[in-house]
Amino acid sequence: MLVDAIAAERFRLLRDRSTMFWGFCFAPLVGFLLSVSGDLFLRFVIKKPMPGLAVGLVDQVIKALSNGASTFGALFLMIGAAAVLAGDYRWETWRLLTPRNTRQNLLLAKLVVVGEAVFWSLLLSAVLSALAALVGSAINGKTVALSLLDRNPFDIVGVLTITWLEAMVLAALAACVGVLSRSTMGVVIACLGVRFVQTILAGALRAMEQGPPSWKLLSMPVFDADLLRAALLAPDQLGDAGSSAGVALVVLLVWTAALTAAAVWLFRRQDLTKE
Amino acid sequence: MSIALEADRLTKTYGAVRALDEFSIAIPAGGVFGVLGPNGAGKSTLFRIALGLVRPTSGSARLFGAAPGDITALRKVGAMIETPRYPPYLTARDTLTMLALESGAKTADVGGWLERVSLTHAADRATSGFSVGMKQRLGLAAAFLTKPELVILDEPTSGMDPAGIQEIRALIVDLAKREGVTVILASHQLDEVKRVCDRVAILSRGKVVAEGGVAELTAGEARLRLTLASPLASALAVLGDRGEADGADAVLADIPRAEAPAVIRALVEAGAEIVEARWREVDLEGVYLKTLGQTPTATTVEGAA
Repeated sequence: MLVDAIAAERFRLLRDRSTMFWGFCFAPLVGFLLSVSGDLFLRFVIKKPMPGLAVGLVDQVIKALSNGASTFGALFLMIGAAAVLAGDYRWETWRLLTPRNTRQNLLLAKLVVVGEAVFWSLLLSAVLSALAALVGSAINGKTVALSLLDRNPFDIVGVLTITWLEAMVLAALAACVGVLSRSTMGVVIACLGVRFVQTILAGALRAMEQGPPSWKLLSMPVFDADLLRAALLAPDQLGDAGSSAGVALVVLLVWTAALTAAAVWLFRRQDLTKE
Repeated sequence: MSIALEADRLTKTYGAVRALDEFSIAIPAGGVFGVLGPNGAGKSTLFRIALGLVRPTSGSARLFGAAPGDITALRKVGAMIETPRYPPYLTARDTLTMLALESGAKTADVGGWLERVSLTHAADRATSGFSVGMKQRLGLAAAFLTKPELVILDEPTSGMDPAGIQEIRALIVDLAKREGVTVILASHQLDEVKRVCDRVAILSRGKVVAEGGVAELTAGEARLRLTLASPLASALAVLGDRGEADGADAVLADIPRAEAPAVIRALVEAGAEIVEARWREVDLEGVYLKTLGQTPTATTVEGAA
């Protein structure tokens, strides 16, 4: 049963402290520490506070969440995903698991657990960014407002969902690469490479295009996620591109589903002679 | 009688290597079944196919009538394939708990099994620091943890100390007899197979070359050794091509046990002076080596005729 496999995988990840810390906690913690130390530096070394009289809590959280699957964020999320998805090749432990559940359930459970971990990691980013905003306002003597850009907590939920979906496209790719390469390092390098190339290509194509985005742009999950966040937060500034938001959402879902199906298909046919 | 593991014309090739070659077997449920064979005979490949770790090139395997990897079959099986490996960050207790969850056996007696394989003292230690023997013990606990109907064990006592080997052998026999678990056991240790198994199959180059009960396989190989006080020629003449000289004062007779009284009578009537008659049994190692085309050496056990 899939629920059994998920329970086992969750149990296992919660005891893998190294993966939990480096994969899913490190980036949010670094973001928090950099933010607070930046405020302390400005206040006590430069002795000039950041411009502005107030801090928008929701704005800060949305900013942190939007960057949750950036190349920096993706690096650490993929370290975590690689440990979960390809760790059994590294430790040669598939022989322990495969006789206990179906291959499909085993791999899907890993993806579900990565999805859960990514969600909690993004939530930790959100909480710590809010905390950093509060600490920063206290250090620099600024007032705290809910939002300076007329955003509300529901926008946080929307951005969290979009960024989570963006990360899950990478996680599904990680599952495919993990099965093919049987290597945790291979997963991290391939996923980061794909993420980086997409960012460069999407930027270049967008600069060359006018009007609604082309299918080439829409096929890139990085662009789709940016488009969806923009459609949620600033629809007036999107112009022609706004009409493609629905397509962008579908593309993200299709990529996730297609890569997941491909990973399961490959894994079901894979010989585990020596993991 | 139901069939626990069935293979029908199973072939598995790795490049030019034929690990299994039109391999067919039907292992009945109940008892302990031994799988013998030299390295590369196909034992581990057979187990890996049965457990869904490897796909056959052709032919089919079935566990309790279901295809390998089928969830209904997997729920009935426990296994330890080669030297077990574990996620290094998990303790022994966590490893068993995780495996119980994976199998949907939330009520599995983790503590009880750790005790049965003498690992209670190391239950909360990470498995990365375990010796090979401790990993084998944990692998056995993992195999039996979910109360399976069939347990497949590949070299279950390798790396263990003599006391541990005795303990694990006793455990396997106990589980097979008391709890009705079918055990399929691959081992290089013929003594272990002889002590533990009811039936055996000998594999060579991906095929079954001999199969049967341990007693059945060795019984057909027994020879009658007759020590004579008279010259051997008259005895050899009576025995014909069923006899051969064994040293200067004895002959070996290839005859069924039931014929022994008649043959001895004929020899005495032909003038042979028989000093001693003993059955020279060939043990499992002798059968194994003979089957694989090697010469049995000091592998015989003698018994009075």
